[in-house]
Amino acid sequence: MGVVQGDQMVLNIGPQHPSTHGVLRLQVRTDGEIVSEIKPYIGYLHRCFEKHSENVTYEQVIPFTDRCDYVASMNNNFGYVVTMEELMEIKVPDRVEYIRVIMAELNRIASHLLALGTYGLDVGAFTPFLYMFRDRERILDIFELTCGARLLYNYMWVGGVSHDLPKDFERICIGFLDYFEPKIKEYNDLLTHNKIFLERTADVGVLPPDVAINFGVSGPNLRGSGVNWDVRKDEPYSIYDRFEFEIPLGEGEFGTVGDSFDRYWVRVCEMKESIKIIRQAIKDLPDGDVFQTIPKKIRPPKGSIYRRTESPRGDLGYYIISDGSPIPYRVKMRSPAFTALSSLGEIAEGWMLSDVIAILGSLDIVLGEIDR
Amino acid sequence: MKKYFANIWGTITTLKTGMGITWRHMMNIKKDNVTLQYPEERWPRPERDIGFEHEKYNVIRSRLHVDIDDCIGCLKCERACPVDCIKIDTIKAPTRGEDIPDIRHTGVTENGTNKALVVSRFTIDMSECCYCNLCVYPCPEECIYMVGGPNSPKHPIDYEFSEFNRKDLIYEFSKPLTSEQKSELMNPKPDAKA
Amino acid sequence: MTVDTLMNWFAKLGDFPELAFILAVLICAVPVFLFIAVYALVAIYGELKISSFMQDKVGPMGQGVGLHAGKWGLLQPVADALKLILKEDIIPTSADKKLFILAPFIVFIGAFIAFAALPFNQNIIIADMNIGIFYILAVSSLGVIGLIMAGWSSNNKWSLYGAMRSAAQIVSYEIPAALSIIAVIMLTGTLSMQGIIQHQSGFVWGILPNWIIFQNPFTFLAFFIFFISGVAECNRTPFDIPEAESELVAGAFTEYSGMRYAFFFLSEYANMFIVSGIAVTAFLGGWQSPISGILNSPAWGLWWFMSKAMFLIFAMIWFRWTFPRLRVDQLMNVCWKGFTPIAMVNIFGVGIWHLMLG
Repeated sequence: MGVVQGDQMVLNIGPQHPSTHGVLRLQVRTDGEIVSEIKPYIGYLHRCFEKHSENVTYEQVIPFTDRCDYVASMNNNFGYVVTMEELMEIKVPDRVEYIRVIMAELNRIASHLLALGTYGLDVGAFTPFLYMFRDRERILDIFELTCGARLLYNYMWVGGVSHDLPKDFERICIGFLDYFEPKIKEYNDLLTHNKIFLERTADVGVLPPDVAINFGVSGPNLRGSGVNWDVRKDEPYSIYDRFEFEIPLGEGEFGTVGDSFDRYWVRVCEMKESIKIIRQAIKDLPDGDVFQTIPKKIRPPKGSIYRRTESPRGDLGYYIISDGSPIPYRVKMRSPAFTALSSLGEIAEGWMLSDVIAILGSLDIVLGEIDR
Repeated sequence: MKKYFANIWGTITTLKTGMGITWRHMMNIKKDNVTLQYPEERWPRPERDIGFEHEKYNVIRSRLHVDIDDCIGCLKCERACPVDCIKIDTIKAPTRGEDIPDIRHTGVTENGTNKALVVSRFTIDMSECCYCNLCVYPCPEECIYMVGGPNSPKHPIDYEFSEFNRKDLIYEFSKPLTSEQKSELMNPKPDAKA
Repeated sequence: MTVDTLMNWFAKLGDFPELAFILAVLICAVPVFLFIAVYALVAIYGELKISSFMQDKVGPMGQGVGLHAGKWGLLQPVADALKLILKEDIIPTSADKKLFILAPFIVFIGAFIAFAALPFNQNIIIADMNIGIFYILAVSSLGVIGLIMAGWSSNNKWSLYGAMRSAAQIVSYEIPAALSIIAVIMLTGTLSMQGIIQHQSGFVWGILPNWIIFQNPFTFLAFFIFFISGVAECNRTPFDIPEAESELVAGAFTEYSGMRYAFFFLSEYANMFIVSGIAVTAFLGGWQSPISGILNSPAWGLWWFMSKAMFLIFAMIWFRWTFPRLRVDQLMNVCWKGFTPIAMVNIFGVGIWHLMLG
């Protein structure tokens, strides 16, 4: 008498699916409901960003960087501009630095709101998604007031910014922050401390710290596993060393350290820290001319440089090689969501199919950044 | 055993708080409503108060417009576009700064510059435009801009310019020239000046 | 009871008992079907509007007939129904055709025949059997077969997932539901629906109506267990893993389109009404008014029954738009390790309380 052998089912969580964040194909081998192997297939959104940037001038690359991580495009611009200014050794005035930090942190809040909202949608809570998007709309209205565009800004230029802040920016921005802080408490009541949500996310998809470091994961995913690494504090760029803020770490209060709840919780706390930074920056905003250090013609010296900045998804790095002409020789973008997606295969094996969707949501990937 | 009942009690209280929040939102719908019945109601465009210094800089990303009478044909906007959606053809004018009434060409721009070139083709393909605003800044005569914003006295805001046919989105701004007028401009008859 | 009155009326016309029976049943079935259809339209409109209000938006709104969706969006469910009827009927080539076509009918029948024992009124009840509640609990599990057929015959791995999860869920949650109904039956001593309602007339604790939910703290608990198990039987959030939208697009019903999908939809709303109907009958006093003695003519009786059932359906809609969903094994845990032991202990509690303080 033999033992009854079951067979494994190969399932495609296909490119079109309501909850892969973009066009991603996951080939999953399951035994009943338990998943034994996951293989991600990417490339459905590849738009040849790096090849395009070898044919256009340095300032024309900036709209293309916007479109890689379309959810947090101020941070993409910031990374590119900081790298270029280090290559060309330009020192921008203080007002420009403060404006850039305010915009980047506002976009961090907007990106985290989107991440948390869609994560709630993945586990089945329909209402917090709409509340978070309504608040995100207010941030996009602030951006529209400043630079005219709602999602893809082309705002930060090499040597400055494209528009100065309007006169009543301070009133509008502080008004938004005062409106938004009590909302975080409302989201915690509705979703974060909900017992059903805790059951779905605590202890699920644990990412141990050594595995995370081996894969190169960074950002809130790494901090959720307890590792204290934030580019804004450890390799400060721009004027981040003048602000006081803390780095939230995952502590495993409802489960083990490094589970999905910890990653979620780190993002909620990071929103609060960003609010602190924006308040400090608006209080100290100096006057000045934002257009004075914009070079008329961008011709960097020959050489190459790699610089990383902190985007809402992790370590965003730009590697630029220039050969002295106005057109770059090579621009490479190191995307943090790529490494997060590659760790999915390791942490999601052995869980059930609904958990795979939940873990994918907690890693917060944006396919535009992975495929470029 | 105690954990079992504590679990149940925790479930009941957190579920009750969650239900309270949705109940409150439902009761306050008249105050909290964020939906607008488009097209009867629209969000107002944000009015920017930038002070008097940079009022010529436009901020709204809407439809591109060119005041063709001010264009001197320098091709700076064509070079600045990252996606190559602006196409300009120019012909050397027979005399610099003089009007040519047959083709409605004005010789002097609003700012007083004398034009040396006649613009025979100025097309912008709005379906390819990525709304990056990079073409607005290099123009020395400030004749290409996105409508609305500080330029609204000249051209009111327009962000609803969708068409049924893709070819209708290729905007032609130059004054139309027939092929005889074009060849006459390119090979001018020698002046009877001897 | 309605079938009986009709048969008596036919007996006056002549002596054809079998034909009279068939005619009476057919004549009673048509209003039930119309009621389900109209009620489904009202419930869909209610769900749209209530969910929108909870999410800070207003849902479908209109300016009048023909523009958008009628005043306040009242024509929206009509538009939905028309769309479903007029859609193209697609059957995948590799699907098992006979089972594919048969599945929606079986699911609908399971929901439809349970309406025969719901007491809308003192006089309006299609068949007042003396085993009313037992009959409803028995036939409402017929829908499981239809779901499994739908999932298997679609020849789609996602549908198969949804169908298997759904079958496990519905079959498991029958047990706490039945156990809490047993607590009620212990108190009333009869299985007939009208009998249970008659038992709940009068007052208890002075001013509270003598509904079973107030007679006993353990029956209070039994009501909640029954209601939540009923929500699980209807595949509604937080137990909607079989049709989890963000994972399985529509679970077992992914391949269905047009009128066949409409049947599944109708049977989900009909199931909701049945569960509310049983909860109202067994725990909340049925068609009796809260202040016993006044406002209890037959017309008022119909009004009380419908409003209590609608309130419970509102609670189901409220649950759906507030909570995330449970995972399959957590669902099963909650049922077998949570609800079933508590329901069993509950039966003891009801009995002991009634003995000592009845």
